[in-house]
Amino acid sequence: MMKFHSTGGALIKDPWDVVAGVVLLGFSLLLLFHLVPNYIGQPPIMQNPMMSPRWLPTIVGWLLLMFSVMMIIQGLLVADDAEDSGRRFERGPWLRFALMALSLVVYVGLFEMLGAVISGILATLILFIAHPVRTWWIYGLAIVFPVGVTLLFTGVMNVPLPMLPF
Amino acid sequence: MKKILNVLCAAVCGGAVSLSLSISTAQAQEWPTDDVRLVVPYGPGGTTDVLSRRVADLLQEELGTNVVVENRPGAGSTVATGRLARGGRDIDHTILMASPGHTIGAAIFPDLTYDPVEDFVFIQNMIDIPNVMVVPADSPYNSVLEFVEAAKEQNMTFSHSGVGSSIHMSGELFKTLTETNLTAVPFSGSGAALPALLGGDVDVSFENIPTVLSHIQTGALKALAVTSAERSEYLPDVPTMNESGEYNLDQFITTAWFGLIAHNSFPEEATAAMQEALQEVMKREEFTSFVEQLGAEKGTIAGDEFKAFITDEVARWDEVAAKAGIRQE
Amino acid sequence: MENITEVLQLFLATENFVAIAVGVVVGVTVGSIPGLTATMAVALALPFTFSMQPVAAILLLVGIYKGGMYGGSITAILIRTPGSPASACTLLDGYPMAQQGEAKKALKMALYSSVVADFISNIALIFFAAYLAKIALNFGAPEFFWLICFSLTIIISLASGSMVKGLIAALLGILLSLVGLDSVFGSQRLTFGNYNLMDSISFIPLLIGLFAIPEIIEFYRKKVVPHLRAKASGAGVSFSEFKGSLKSIVRGSLIGVIIGAIPGTGATAAAFISYGDAKRRSPHPERFGKGELEGVAASEAGNNGVAGATLIPLLSLGIPGDVITAIILGAFMVHGLTPGPILFQENLPLIYAIFLGIMLSSVILLFVGSAAIRYFSLIADIPKSILFPIVLMFCVYGSYAVNNDTFDVWLMLAFGVLGYVFNRTGIPAAPFLIGFILGPMFEDNLRRSLLIGSNDLSIFVRGPITWFFIALTVGSILLATYRFITSWHKAKQSAGKPGAGT
Repeated sequence: MMKFHSTGGALIKDPWDVVAGVVLLGFSLLLLFHLVPNYIGQPPIMQNPMMSPRWLPTIVGWLLLMFSVMMIIQGLLVADDAEDSGRRFERGPWLRFALMALSLVVYVGLFEMLGAVISGILATLILFIAHPVRTWWIYGLAIVFPVGVTLLFTGVMNVPLPMLPF
Repeated sequence: MKKILNVLCAAVCGGAVSLSLSISTAQAQEWPTDDVRLVVPYGPGGTTDVLSRRVADLLQEELGTNVVVENRPGAGSTVATGRLARGGRDIDHTILMASPGHTIGAAIFPDLTYDPVEDFVFIQNMIDIPNVMVVPADSPYNSVLEFVEAAKEQNMTFSHSGVGSSIHMSGELFKTLTETNLTAVPFSGSGAALPALLGGDVDVSFENIPTVLSHIQTGALKALAVTSAERSEYLPDVPTMNESGEYNLDQFITTAWFGLIAHNSFPEEATAAMQEALQEVMKREEFTSFVEQLGAEKGTIAGDEFKAFITDEVARWDEVAAKAGIRQE
Repeated sequence: MENITEVLQLFLATENFVAIAVGVVVGVTVGSIPGLTATMAVALALPFTFSMQPVAAILLLVGIYKGGMYGGSITAILIRTPGSPASACTLLDGYPMAQQGEAKKALKMALYSSVVADFISNIALIFFAAYLAKIALNFGAPEFFWLICFSLTIIISLASGSMVKGLIAALLGILLSLVGLDSVFGSQRLTFGNYNLMDSISFIPLLIGLFAIPEIIEFYRKKVVPHLRAKASGAGVSFSEFKGSLKSIVRGSLIGVIIGAIPGTGATAAAFISYGDAKRRSPHPERFGKGELEGVAASEAGNNGVAGATLIPLLSLGIPGDVITAIILGAFMVHGLTPGPILFQENLPLIYAIFLGIMLSSVILLFVGSAAIRYFSLIADIPKSILFPIVLMFCVYGSYAVNNDTFDVWLMLAFGVLGYVFNRTGIPAAPFLIGFILGPMFEDNLRRSLLIGSNDLSIFVRGPITWFFIALTVGSILLATYRFITSWHKAKQSAGKPGAGT
């Protein structure tokens, strides 16, 4: 029982696994009883149940259900190998993380509206500030790259990136 | 930077060459006043894409402006077509290479946001690729009638390149007209479908002529009939469906057509300019040899005639899709 | 004799050499940029080939294809962003190696392995095309079905750590791959009426999101760590290391050749199958996924082994196995040549001239690749705080470029979050990808077999190829079970011993 020594006395050996297992369990139930019957059309006549568009999703659903239960059990009984998973780390300041999330939001929400160049510059600047980068000329890259790469994509590779907001 | 400038100009004065020109001179100027955008509603590599790039190449010489090919694949061709129908910036310089997906898509997806006929201007049909009914070399059937009679007795299979492809719909049309027991076997693309036919896993296919021509020539496949109204110049010995005469097969005329369309606000003078330029393109030796190599035939219809053809096609595939049960409800 | 001079006349033209070189350079460059694929580059290059000599035209496109196949591995190794789908497998070990300061070694190994696999693939094309084409024709839906079943068993060997989590990942992959229009009935599956999902979820945004984004999120969540210089000028691959991986490379190349010769499977699957195979045979499978040199070698051998072999069905049967070969088919047609048996009868010198050029392309790839490594490995020296924002920008632009649609950008970022959750919960991404790639093939071929055989199940055991793959599948499952039980016993014993001893 060497493996279990780290969290020896706790009731739940690996809370992350239990949480993930419960979420997956919920998802598989949702899939089986709501998504498959409501969002997968089934033709009225079929010679073989295996031909149905619902056949494989249903099987996947049941297997997911089974494995998520196993994952919960595993989480209750087996601790994860600490040195293996790389899950543990020292958390940085929350502002850094929030700014990163903000830059993703810029891409998600403003990409089409502001165009590739402006949203690219904006998001890159935010990420530089988040780190924070202290060399001033690096901030110039935040303008050079989005402009340069956009021109490469549109001009050379014929990709119609959204350009400017007007 | 030219591109950005262009976009800017287009936005400010509807596609004038330079900001210094006044609006009135801009309007007086002949179309095209900007780069022409040719939208391909499929990904790179298919017939539509290859054809579009060839046409764009020749068209820019005739028009004296850049013709930029743009791939916008998705949901048959309906994503790009829907986008075109919505209009927007540069719409007077945007054309789209439509194909059977345009009419079949309208039949398969009932909740399309656009009308496949009224929302568009039909400029010019560029090429037609007829289909041919082929069976494996060792198939016992040597004519369409033999095949139909056998298919009324037993269950037969036909391969196709994907739900809603012209090859699939041709098969479904054949099934409806002849009232036979044909089962569709889907493959992803003709490339994947062909080995099944060559190896005799499926009984028949209604492939595009260019895809199977060399196999017919080497005797790996037997051609029973071509689906065009007249015999194909590539397969002069193969009868048309029409010649078979019976089982409503005289109604079996399908070709994969490829033609240019635009938003219905496309200016009239632009349509005229396009048609003129395309006529020149189609006369070019390069285009002729390209069409021959594709195993295709040059399109003959344009404008209203083209529109009438599309109207008929939409109605027909609508009926076939309903009967075959492949319409989305 | 006459033929040889004719072949040489066709081949020894400056235009040909320029075409191959330009092709390979363009391929490596485009292939290395996430979202820009060799397919796009080939499509863009097509109009230029209209006015070229046929041999040069084909060689240009083939050069791009081969270069692109390798180029993807560069960014996969350096920034955990597969430049092209086929290199997704390379990053499993390539990126950890780069993190450990061995970027150059990984890049070199990827190159050598690619070149060797390329060469083997070319040999197969030139000498065994007719034979392999025959196999391809006998490879119907039931045979395909068993091949996929066998490939699915690889998930078992790829699920490092927890078997349950690996299987869950694979199931989620299969489930997501089913989104879109049903291939038989055309009915919508889990699209929720969104037309962007009708053609199923695009693979490239999924890949970029799953691998590159979690790395970025993680970086901004962790406390700042000093930048580890990756020794761009560091050690390459020693000959003994190369020799150690050679068996895996050759096996991977052969796997690639077979997969490539059968239309419709693709290089990505070949890379994973080769990787899984190498891991299974390795004396230390636990090192795979943490920076094992042989893993890089095996996956690159698998995907480059496909490159020459996909030309087999194209040239000998006129059947394109993937999109790129479909475009190359178009290029042949434009020059009035129809690939297939007739081409071999009528234009044999031309075919041989092309073969010579293809062989040469492998050599050129070696030189271009070496030059590329010299410059690209500098990326490993850029601090992450500067690199990651630019990588993110490439990811966004690249995802957009796949379908020219913003929806794919959203999809990419959503998969980024999913990938992050996977990392946190220890669910491995590799089986997820395998499920995503093989899921639809499994279902399609199962249903195809049922349709072809009119629901008669005997079609699944109809010939020697099916028996062969059934045997492999069963064997693979038995082997995995055996290993699982023995390792479990060992763990139990070693766990039991200290307790019993004291």
